Amino acid sequence: MTGSPAAQHQLDLVPDALLAGRAADGDTAAFEALARRHGPLMRATARRLTGSLADADDVVQETLVQAWKQLDSLRDPAAVKGWLLRIVGSRSIDYLRKRRNHADLDDAENHVDQHTRPRPEDPEGNALSSSRVEALKAALAALPEEQRRCWVLKEFNDQSYEEIALTLNISPDSVRGRLARARITLARRMEEWR
Amino acid sequence: MNYPRDTLECGHSLAELSAYLDTGQIADPAHLDSCPECQAGLASLRKLSALGSELLSSDVADAGSGSDDWMQSILDNLRLELRPGRSIPLQSVHPDDTLWETEGSISALIRSVVDAHPGTAAGKCRLHGDVTTPGTLITVEVEIAVVYGHSMEERADQLREELARTLATHTELAIEAINITVTDVLEEQP
Repeated sequence: MTGSPAAQHQLDLVPDALLAGRAADGDTAAFEALARRHGPLMRATARRLTGSLADADDVVQETLVQAWKQLDSLRDPAAVKGWLLRIVGSRSIDYLRKRRNHADLDDAENHVDQHTRPRPEDPEGNALSSSRVEALKAALAALPEEQRRCWVLKEFNDQSYEEIALTLNISPDSVRGRLARARITLARRMEEWR
Repeated sequence: MNYPRDTLECGHSLAELSAYLDTGQIADPAHLDSCPECQAGLASLRKLSALGSELLSSDVADAGSGSDDWMQSILDNLRLELRPGRSIPLQSVHPDDTLWETEGSISALIRSVVDAHPGTAAGKCRLHGDVTTPGTLITVEVEIAVVYGHSMEERADQLREELARTLATHTELAIEAINITVTDVLEEQP
């Protein structure tokens, strides 16, 4: 049922809604095209949320399994990207809860940002901007976990307060409060750093 | 949740400004335009949000491309279950045999016909009518996307004919109508 390479290439050009409709019909090639299209964003979000490279890839995989099973329940196929990211969000939070019970298994090798260094393709002009990004990473890592989750779900996944509240199982008011705390702390750090 | 340091001298808090950035709502919007403190607070939050977008871009770049090995190995692990849909009975030569094909295999057939046309891709397709009872009249609905520049009516007519031929050859469905809807016009990739 997988398309020919030519058809696959063609699928890379078509909009999300069409791919989601085909995938809901059972077209695995269309589903894989969606996965490839949004995979990097899903992986990036999962890495920021879980803080672990290995967990992030497990989260992406579980998200895709769940998405394939539930695709026909997606009412607006054009909204598939946000829907995938919401699954990534709740899966990542599940992983954090699980991991808290196995803190001894924490593997430092796998930590996001452990090996980050300025990327060689960064032109000179971007050096300042990329070092500000590095400073933001550090400031983000120092936030209380609950605040960091709210911030990532908002800024990376573009979720509403209500959606974040559902994902984290807290009230929308708590989301508003934690997000504000996170932003105030981060903004201050960044101003100090400047 | 009140922190004295976050309340500006004008009485507004940074938390209110943070919520304003997300929802566009604040008790007295007119105040924002005239209050230098609120302006400075908003500017600082906006700068942070812009930096957040830079972090996101940098993280997405670090995550690699979706056509890289990491994604392929995730996809290889998925083992997606097929969605067969309804079972469509087929006539058999021996009365004791029960033969059938799946709705999923027919939508795959329809997609392959549509996809084989240059500049055309299939979207959703539906078989309306009780396909499980032989002889029932069936209406086929297919959504398609066409690359800009192809004549849509001509393309739809061609496809309708070809689909009718293919379905007659490969299935025993009694097709009453084939409705093709162009849902998207695609830009040709440079």
